[in-house]
Amino acid sequence: MPLLVSLRGRIAVAAVVAGAWAAVAPMAAWADEAFAAVAELVRSTDPDLRAVGLERVRDGLRGEAASIRLAETLLPGLEAACQPALLAALADRGDPAALPGVRSLAEAASDPAIRAGALVTVAALAGGDDVPLLVGRLGAGGPEADAARRGLLLVDGPGATAALLAAARGAPRDTRLALIEILAARRVTAAAPDLAGDASGDDEALRGAALRALGQLGTAAEVPTMVRGLLRSTAGQQRDEAERALVAVCTAGRDRQRAAEAFLGQFAGAVPDARRQLVGVLGRIGGPEARGVVDRLLADPAQRAVGLEALSRWPDATVKDRLLELLAATGDEKERDVLLGTLIRIAPLPNNTLDDKQKLELLRRTMDLCRRDEDRRRVLERANAIRTVDTLRFVVPYLDQPALAESACLSVVELAHHQQLRDGNKEEFTKALDRVIATTTNAELVERCNRYKEGRTWNRKAPGG
Amino acid sequence: MAFDSSRLDAALAALTAFDWGADPGPLATIDEAVVATHGGEALRADLERRLLGVLAGTASRAAKEYVCRRLAVIGSAASVPGLARLLDDPHQSHMARFALERIDAPEAGAALRAALATTTGQRRIGVVSSLVGRGDAGCVPLLADLLNAEPALAIAAAEGLGRLASPEAAAALAAAKPGPADAAILDARLACADAFLARGERTQARGIYDAIAAGVGPTPTSHRDRALRIAATRGRLACLDRT
Repeated sequence: MPLLVSLRGRIAVAAVVAGAWAAVAPMAAWADEAFAAVAELVRSTDPDLRAVGLERVRDGLRGEAASIRLAETLLPGLEAACQPALLAALADRGDPAALPGVRSLAEAASDPAIRAGALVTVAALAGGDDVPLLVGRLGAGGPEADAARRGLLLVDGPGATAALLAAARGAPRDTRLALIEILAARRVTAAAPDLAGDASGDDEALRGAALRALGQLGTAAEVPTMVRGLLRSTAGQQRDEAERALVAVCTAGRDRQRAAEAFLGQFAGAVPDARRQLVGVLGRIGGPEARGVVDRLLADPAQRAVGLEALSRWPDATVKDRLLELLAATGDEKERDVLLGTLIRIAPLPNNTLDDKQKLELLRRTMDLCRRDEDRRRVLERANAIRTVDTLRFVVPYLDQPALAESACLSVVELAHHQQLRDGNKEEFTKALDRVIATTTNAELVERCNRYKEGRTWNRKAPGG
Repeated sequence: MAFDSSRLDAALAALTAFDWGADPGPLATIDEAVVATHGGEALRADLERRLLGVLAGTASRAAKEYVCRRLAVIGSAASVPGLARLLDDPHQSHMARFALERIDAPEAGAALRAALATTTGQRRIGVVSSLVGRGDAGCVPLLADLLNAEPALAIAAAEGLGRLASPEAAAALAAAKPGPADAAILDARLACADAFLARGERTQARGIYDAIAAGVGPTPTSHRDRALRIAATRGRLACLDRT
């Protein structure tokens, strides 16, 4: 009896196995045929057919087994000219099962362009495990380095960010430089503490990269380091970048309020020479706390210049009354220039608290305070940022003053550029544009006037174009 | 639910003179009757009879169109003769087809098939479209016979067979002789293959895709042939790939 049971059991198992095999065998046959058909198309020199094959790689032949065959059988044997397209299709397919085959090509292909394509595909499919491979190629130069950089920007699998952070910590200088930019572009906020050393270090390039990155990732905790980095930066582009980074953390960062407070604390504790270097940031941060600091500086004759410098960088019109008050009181021509220039700049700022009427009124008052035509021209040219018909009415009378006429012409034309404003006040604009045509010596302005009168637009030339 | 017969008579009288742009208010009573007769065979037959009376009379074109729309909802085999009489009427043919296409009675299909022999021009093409719209399997041989008719009709027949996408329709398309509708026939064959594939009938689908690819040949010269080859190749791969 036990023998019979055992035999029955074996027969049953054998039947199950045979059944399963029978089920698998035809499946394998059609899978082979499907794979062979796709492979033939991918190998084809006919772009239409190749596109059909690649479409199937992207969206068909489902399953890991097919991914492995595509990457390990088809890919390495393909002509070099066809490999990039298959690599891109495998990346779109998104199956990590293809990784070993793609990785092999990234490591062994003789053509750097193929290695580069394989790296991007590795990145698209990989997780943290492949970060070292990509980091290692950052120093390769040429298309491989570009591909590694692109790949490190998009690698998104499990552990990728942690692997990137770990790689950055132990990387040689040039690699670390590239990784800092990648961490910033990926907004890896966890990298901020690691960047502190570089941000105030001796290496200019690393310092610049770390400060730029901290501008995107930093918090109040990094502000002291960033201040030290700014103070070590040479005047010019480096200093400007460091300033921009600090301003970004204090005005747009995750904890901007605390960051601004941290900066003001740093500023208060700085020696006079350092304060002069930090004044740009102080002004551009703005806000009531910074305003208090500036007022104290203005009250101290020894620090007044620093206070004025800060005020001249203010980001909005909240300081307009203070500027007007200082302008009325000063007898110093240099101070006057700074104050007037600041008023002209801030009056039409879009982010200030004034409405269009108040902005225009401030410009009118500023115009009254101008003593030189040079300043009046700046007021007229700035006026067109306030896009109202009242601005047109403010500007038009200056068309009669030869010394100011060209600036007035420019502003009239800039206002007319805005179709809604122009069409809503057509008669007034047509008259003003006719006067510009009769006044200006600038052929481009005449052309623009004629176009606007005919209801046509004008394509502004690209900067430098 | 019953409806007020005298109110309905008044509405039908108003319907007789109804024209587009006029106040459709009186017709609301008929619409209510359509709803009220739902499930009541006798009442619905009575309403159908009254509407057919309007259709047979001298009512305005707008009124007859209105009747056709309602017969599409409540019509039965009893409506078929009245509607079939309009199939060759240049003004009423399309609305008669609208109703016949939707009446769930074999007589409606038979009337449309019969009309294929009696109508001409655009109205005949319309009848082809309505037969296909009904999913009328019995029209396949008739449409097959039209594949070599004048081009517009042949194209309509080919497209119709492609929409029917039955094995018989696919066979008729495959057997078509070269003619003015060749391009439409190939498109229709692809439509059949796509329908087969969607239904999981891979072998039949693949047969069509393979035949089309073979017909185009390995080096297509025209854009159309290239497009056909791409479509056939894609279809063939989809047939092979069962993942």
